Amino acid sequence: MTPSATPITGGCLCGQVRYAITGPALQTAHCHCTMCRRASGALAVTFTVVNWADFRCTQGEPAVYHSSSHAERRFCANCGSQLTFWDQKRPDSLDVNTGTLDHPEAFPAQKHVWTETRVAWLELDPGLPGWNPSGE
Amino acid sequence: MHTPITGGCLCGQVRYRVDGPVAHVSHCHCTMCRRATGGLTGTYVNVARADLTWTQGQPALYDSTPGVRRGFCVGCGGPLTYQNEQRAARISLTIGSLDHPEAHPPGKHIFTDTRIPWLTLDPTLPGWE
Repeated sequence: MTPSATPITGGCLCGQVRYAITGPALQTAHCHCTMCRRASGALAVTFTVVNWADFRCTQGEPAVYHSSSHAERRFCANCGSQLTFWDQKRPDSLDVNTGTLDHPEAFPAQKHVWTETRVAWLELDPGLPGWNPSGE
Repeated sequence: MHTPITGGCLCGQVRYRVDGPVAHVSHCHCTMCRRATGGLTGTYVNVARADLTWTQGQPALYDSTPGVRRGFCVGCGGPLTYQNEQRAARISLTIGSLDHPEAHPPGKHIFTDTRIPWLTLDPTLPGWE
């Protein structure tokens, strides 16, 4: 568990949507799946996982895009910032886009996920463990 | 002749094609790109604006500073472009929106003063501190 001062705060680029997390960050991971790549426009997306019940918007409300039958991605309708990922398969947790935190430097990544689809030439925190849905 | 570069957002509402060469590719560590993507850096493929065609839909535009416009999809939020009017002949495409980002490895880092200290990202490229 990453020690952190609470609440953890963040928001989108334009400031229309702001949020607060009144609980701990459970872990931070780099996701290399192709959907996260498209959603963010970045090469990998880094998420800080929190308890869903600890998250609330303090200003504005994000738009929702259902990227699959069981997943919801929230973003700012005004500036496009990707804010959160929620999966019905893990309903009690919420993945917050680390880049939207006010202090992302306080939440170092601890692992990689979906490394089978990572961009081959990308050297990103090579010392961290990886995880794949296939178990390889 | 250059093979067209194609790409689009996650939901597919906005698609583009580039008929021309890539000028350069860079990792941007500025705080605005971090917020805009929700990733830890923005990585951009820079092309001539005249070579870019929207083949489906159009991005919404957000003016993040005077003279700077960021394009994104209103359907899914996917960040697509960065345009700076001081370099009006160029447009930067978010690499993650390309159909084949693996074909365009970055050559440098920019705005490294604000990079996240614990992040190791392509450390042999110039611009890294």
